[in-house]
Amino acid sequence: MASLTAQQRQDLIEELPRLKRFCLSLTSDPSDADDLLQITVERLLEKGMPHDAHVAKWSHRVCRNLWIDEIRSRDVRNRYAQSESAVEGAGTTSANSDDSVQLDRVSAAMDRLPTEQRAALVQVAVEGCSYAEAAALLEVPIGTIMSRVARARKALAEDLEWSAEREA
Amino acid sequence: MADDRDNVVDMAGTRVDDDHLLSMYIDNELDAERTIALITRLRTEPTLRARLEKMEANDSAVKRLYSEADHTVPAQLASLVGAENVTMMNPSRTWQRWAGGMVAASFAAVLTLVINVNQSVVFNPMSMDPQLADALEHSPSRASGWETLGSDRVFRGVLTFPAADGRWCREFLLGQNESQWRGVACRDSGEWVNQVVGSEVFLEQETQYRPAGAADSEQVARFIDETATDVALGPQQEAALIASGW
Repeated sequence: MASLTAQQRQDLIEELPRLKRFCLSLTSDPSDADDLLQITVERLLEKGMPHDAHVAKWSHRVCRNLWIDEIRSRDVRNRYAQSESAVEGAGTTSANSDDSVQLDRVSAAMDRLPTEQRAALVQVAVEGCSYAEAAALLEVPIGTIMSRVARARKALAEDLEWSAEREA
Repeated sequence: MADDRDNVVDMAGTRVDDDHLLSMYIDNELDAERTIALITRLRTEPTLRARLEKMEANDSAVKRLYSEADHTVPAQLASLVGAENVTMMNPSRTWQRWAGGMVAASFAAVLTLVINVNQSVVFNPMSMDPQLADALEHSPSRASGWETLGSDRVFRGVLTFPAADGRWCREFLLGQNESQWRGVACRDSGEWVNQVVGSEVFLEQETQYRPAGAADSEQVARFIDETATDVALGPQQEAALIASGW
């Protein structure tokens, strides 16, 4: 498992755009998504994968595990480094139209979703995966995908209603 | 048709609420029977219809959000994956936003590859070609500025040093379009051969390139540390070496 086969490399190249969207769905931050994608690719090139591995599933698994490692690490840093305040930006201020305001709201609401719900929703609603496909990719039961997607939509709807009312 | 909401169960046999039903309907995951039942309800229940429309609108917004985000995969990353006969050597694993002072601001990320010198295929555009070889052969090292290679590449010699095996080696920078690489090539039996190639992402200002031999490009620097037997040549020593044909 030292290296990728030529076919695996080709499959991985084709998978990169989708993998990047997956990174964004996990991190909810473009810079983190870029980092995660690069680190995932580095890991895949360094460790390789079994010759019979499904490239999309394998790469998504590696990506997800790396992100879990990172957020655990950040959690430790946050708990033990009081000076490091993880203050996120309050979002863009360039919203000049109702349309962009709405997109900003959606972006903020997506950020507030639990990671697993956001990842499931992106796989189904953005990538067009069936529940079975998303379940295989995220390695959870199909019923879990169904539940996460539904809860994500519900939370999104309530969050957006609340933010619209608050700003009205 | 009878109201069968209480009988609706998910795939695990658990009862689901209307939001779950609507979500499955949007995703085309309801079976025919439950789809017909839901459509019947949607015709007669404005609140349920409004809820569905809100969810669909939110889905559209999420799709737009992700389609408008920059999902461009850096070309050098695709090149890296597509390259054959390269092996990762201690990947960077740096997280820009969280790495604090550990990552120099001018270096967003570094990938370093060890190229098997016995294999002829290396990844574009770092393949040793006549233009690059000629620059290594004749161009002195410099702290700033670039020499043009062909129509779309720039070159900068960084330093020259003697390797333990007696070869002369040069660290250099190479740029093409938005990509930059740092590498070390050694002169082997009259020909320049790449030894280490690091793909680097710099900030836009040229002045933010680090001076020769800076430790930011750790893998390249480590290769030099492990290979060099003496300090880098000074400008006059290097000029004399170039003039003498190495």
